[in-house]
Amino acid sequence: MTDQVFGCMSACQIREGLATRQFSAREIADESLKRIRALDGATHAFLETTEEMAFEQAARIDAAIASDLLDEMGSLAGLPAAFKDNMNLIGTHTTCSSRMLANYVSPYTATCVSRMLAAGAIPLGKLNMDEFAFGSSTETSAFGPTHNPWNLSCVPGGSSGGSAAAVAAGLVSVSLGSDTGGSIRQPGSFCGLVAVKPTYGVVSRYGVVAFGSSLDQVGPFTRSVEDAAYSLNALAGRDPLDCTSQHITTDFTANLSEGVRGMRIGVVPAFMEAKGLTAEVKAKVEEAADHLRQLGAELVEVDLPNAQAAMSAYYVLGPCEAFSNLARFDSIRYGYCDPGHKDMNSQYDASREIGFGSEARRRIMLGSYLLSAGVYDTYYYPAQQVRTLITQDYARAYEQVDCILAPVAPRTAFEFGAISDPTEMYLSDMFTISINIAGNGGMSMPVGLGAETGLPVGVQLIAPQFKDENMLRVAAALESVYGPAPVATAFLPESDLSAPANIPDARDAVPGVVLGEEGECRA
Amino acid sequence: MSAVRSLEEVLVDWEAVIGLEIHAELTTLETKMFCNCKLEFGADPNTHTCPVCLGLPGALPVPNRAAIESIVLAGLATNCDIEKRSMFYRKNYMYPDMPKNFQTTQGPVAFCMRGHLDLDVDGPAAKERYQLDKLAVGEERENIIRTDSGYKAHVGITRIHMEEDAGKMVHLGGGEGRIAGATHSLVDYNRAGTPLIELVTEPDLRTPEEARLFMQKLRQIYLAIGISDCSMEEGSLRCDGNVSLRRRGAKEFGTKTELKNMNSFKNLHDGLAYEICRQAEVLEEGGQIYQETRHWDPTQKRTIVMRVKETADDYRLFPEPDLAPYDLSDEFIESVRAKLPELPEQKALRFAQDFALSAYDARHLVEHRETAAFFEKCMQLAGADAATLSKPIANLIINDVTAYLNANEGVVLADTQFTPARAIELVRLLADDTISSKQAKEVFSAVMEEGLDPAAIVEARGMKQVSDTGAIEAVVDGVLAANPDKVEQYKGGKTGLIGFFVGQCMKEMKGQGNPKVINELLAKKLS
Amino acid sequence: MTEHLSEHDVRDIAEYVRIGLTDDEVEQMTVDLNAIIDSLRPITEYELDGVEPTFHPIGTLSNVMRDDMVVPGFSQEVALENASKTQDGSFLIPSILGEGGDR
Repeated sequence: MTDQVFGCMSACQIREGLATRQFSAREIADESLKRIRALDGATHAFLETTEEMAFEQAARIDAAIASDLLDEMGSLAGLPAAFKDNMNLIGTHTTCSSRMLANYVSPYTATCVSRMLAAGAIPLGKLNMDEFAFGSSTETSAFGPTHNPWNLSCVPGGSSGGSAAAVAAGLVSVSLGSDTGGSIRQPGSFCGLVAVKPTYGVVSRYGVVAFGSSLDQVGPFTRSVEDAAYSLNALAGRDPLDCTSQHITTDFTANLSEGVRGMRIGVVPAFMEAKGLTAEVKAKVEEAADHLRQLGAELVEVDLPNAQAAMSAYYVLGPCEAFSNLARFDSIRYGYCDPGHKDMNSQYDASREIGFGSEARRRIMLGSYLLSAGVYDTYYYPAQQVRTLITQDYARAYEQVDCILAPVAPRTAFEFGAISDPTEMYLSDMFTISINIAGNGGMSMPVGLGAETGLPVGVQLIAPQFKDENMLRVAAALESVYGPAPVATAFLPESDLSAPANIPDARDAVPGVVLGEEGECRA
Repeated sequence: MSAVRSLEEVLVDWEAVIGLEIHAELTTLETKMFCNCKLEFGADPNTHTCPVCLGLPGALPVPNRAAIESIVLAGLATNCDIEKRSMFYRKNYMYPDMPKNFQTTQGPVAFCMRGHLDLDVDGPAAKERYQLDKLAVGEERENIIRTDSGYKAHVGITRIHMEEDAGKMVHLGGGEGRIAGATHSLVDYNRAGTPLIELVTEPDLRTPEEARLFMQKLRQIYLAIGISDCSMEEGSLRCDGNVSLRRRGAKEFGTKTELKNMNSFKNLHDGLAYEICRQAEVLEEGGQIYQETRHWDPTQKRTIVMRVKETADDYRLFPEPDLAPYDLSDEFIESVRAKLPELPEQKALRFAQDFALSAYDARHLVEHRETAAFFEKCMQLAGADAATLSKPIANLIINDVTAYLNANEGVVLADTQFTPARAIELVRLLADDTISSKQAKEVFSAVMEEGLDPAAIVEARGMKQVSDTGAIEAVVDGVLAANPDKVEQYKGGKTGLIGFFVGQCMKEMKGQGNPKVINELLAKKLS
Repeated sequence: MTEHLSEHDVRDIAEYVRIGLTDDEVEQMTVDLNAIIDSLRPITEYELDGVEPTFHPIGTLSNVMRDDMVVPGFSQEVALENASKTQDGSFLIPSILGEGGDR
């Protein structure tokens, strides 16, 4: 036995420990599950743990070690991992944090998940999120919110809030999230993690429940840039099951140690002057810029004149695609089915009314309106034209620079319930959305704690399409200054968390939804 | 309501404007449109599904290259322009047979645009065309040109687009499996995602016969290029018709109805004919035609309203983000063109030229792929005699073989006892006057039943025709001698009695006398 | 705030997307949607003449297809395992027409 906390370790540390037989993969699985059980009551990052699969994977790794075949196990061998609950993993519930899917058991596995497993990661469970990824705080989860490990009365960000909290609390070393308008980067910033949204097409979307098909992209949360790069190596590349996935041959670890000397890094003055950007976040971005300059990068002002239209384009395109993607939840083949209806329309109406939360209903209704005859030409088509302009803006900027430095979110994590107006909540994504619109890669890189709130702040690094290695290289340089992302103080192994904060397991608090039971969902 | 006037009467006052929407499932492919599930008709329900065609959350479509090749092939075979740049779209509406609740289809630009087929309308089919007799051969009017035997009609094809089929439903608790009155339905998604091509014609058709012939010709083409089994019964070839009427001479289109469930050529014709008569009656009584979908009921011989369309359907069509757009290369299109076989129309032209057949015969020979192939094989076997045997072989196929196949549903020519070699043998027996054409029919039936060669049957049945002039002359003389009164009457002008003499001679010869020789001898001796 | 949608419109949309809404929900939804649509105004004010739309973010992507080869899918049991109502190997649904019409 060992008292090491595996969820706080890096891929290299785990591999080293396995190779030298300091611990076994089985111990990793066992200890990690124990830690999750002990601590997740406080964060509620997990919706489900996957004991059986964890031990199966651990057994494979231990068998490989016994045969001296650890090198064939992949770069993530033994790494404690977990997945956002919109990723299908065969035999697990994939709920998208919605009542609609409370009882849905995946009969297949998403490509991103199977690639992480193929690289040796140990699957520990499924992670909380905003319902169907509609949100920026994880408060819209039908199974109760996730709490930010840095301050349990604050949100972890969203929609991949569970993915961020699980890594920030040291419950796992890596998690996967998905990002449609900032859903990896913003919680990455709120929880102080390396959080990467690769270029659209780098990672297969097959098996990830779609929100905005032309915007969604999967990426990792880690505490080190190197672990993010290892994860991308595992994840990236063409998947015959996703037409929009691309051939990728990049080794994302290759240039991490090259430094930024000679790199040109763009800053966008309009972003720095944006209304709503808090002083502490602004100061951190400027501080990061100074460090990069000192490390030899050239900082160049670039203009993205159409970026301010990204927000409205996003709130056209996202709901339009979501409306269509969520039409399949019709109570017939899977998903919540309201019992006792004599005709199909009333079964549809009741099942979708009860199954979907208010934000999901709002976006479905909005998308349907925006695509209707006559309205299409007023919003949807112009939004796709604006997309062209934004893409051109970025292309022009990248003629001058190799990477752009920007804020991730206008502020640090906020308290539960602090933002209730949906349009105000949408502003959380003001700096991240244009990257999804243009399909570029973007990531959040932690640069310490905000001067006022004492909560983590991330800066955003934005790369040209399929040049994701550029932002990782800059991130590695920042990491050399700030150090790898720490586990949230209260969750450090040396902290005594024997009495977790008195937060009820929110899953029990949702009336009428019974998780994990066979048969019909009861409402 | 029952139609009181005949179609031909109605079409004197009214011009029918007909457009067709024809769906063909690409049944000859191995897999579905967007996933690798097997295409199979009649399998146990829900045994050919996967995350994609069940519309599971997270599943993504990947198009089948062979389906895209098939639709390009269909476009090339129907004189369409192949659009290199096109996209798939999502057509959004909720219906239980659609797993995703949107159908993946194409938008304003389809793979195939602006095609046409020329129809040969002749015989009784041409009668439905208004005032055809006012045209001289070779003269044109609107989209038709008068021919010797009828007319040729030019029918525009608006587009052929690629889409996917829905699942199948069985309705329970109502009458005869009908949806109306059903309390429950069962849904089977085996068919969901079957590659489907939809051809839309211009409103160029004017008679139910033209619609039927268009459908027939298209079916022949699809069968020739091998993209579908085109079974109207099993629903792999389906046709909807849009019909409206306008007064003769009017320019404005009338309100159209959409007609469904015309699942055979006869139903297509009869459904349209009924609907034209129904609309005429409504209009003549001062009524109004509503834009509605109507269902053809072949047992009651009427159309029934299924749904009234108050407003145009709003399907929220938008480009499918999960599928890459198309930018087909010249190489791709040419590689498909190289697979284009000889089409029935070209084959008919070649048959007519190479084997001195009439256009009519040639066209009927190519109506079915297997009869065309059979004919071609016969001509190879005939060798030097091809030119003289072509006509009798064609007659044999068009009349006897076709009648046999029509009478024996489901029978494939290749599975019968009738081989090209036997066909040649039979026709040679006919050509050298060994048997009469009447006997030839008997021999054909015997070949089918007994599986023996024609010569052997003729031999066994002793049915060889007697053409020997000496032997026949003796019989003729005997008959004339036995009936002096009739000979007298004949010579007095009752020439109709020739039939009596022939009959008597044949009777004497137990039906084996060559009627041609008998006729010649009688004519000579009675003059 | 402009009224882009009336409560009547919202009911029509809800019927199309098949989400049941109570009267109170219709009222709140109408307010929310009008506010959101108002916030989308920048999109309608852009000078976009001659700008091509970008439907797919990766510009070079085209002609992605697969071979026509069978890969075994689900057994009937797996296909049906998440359904709440099944019968005879099929998904079971209540009357389609109900009080409405056919599609």
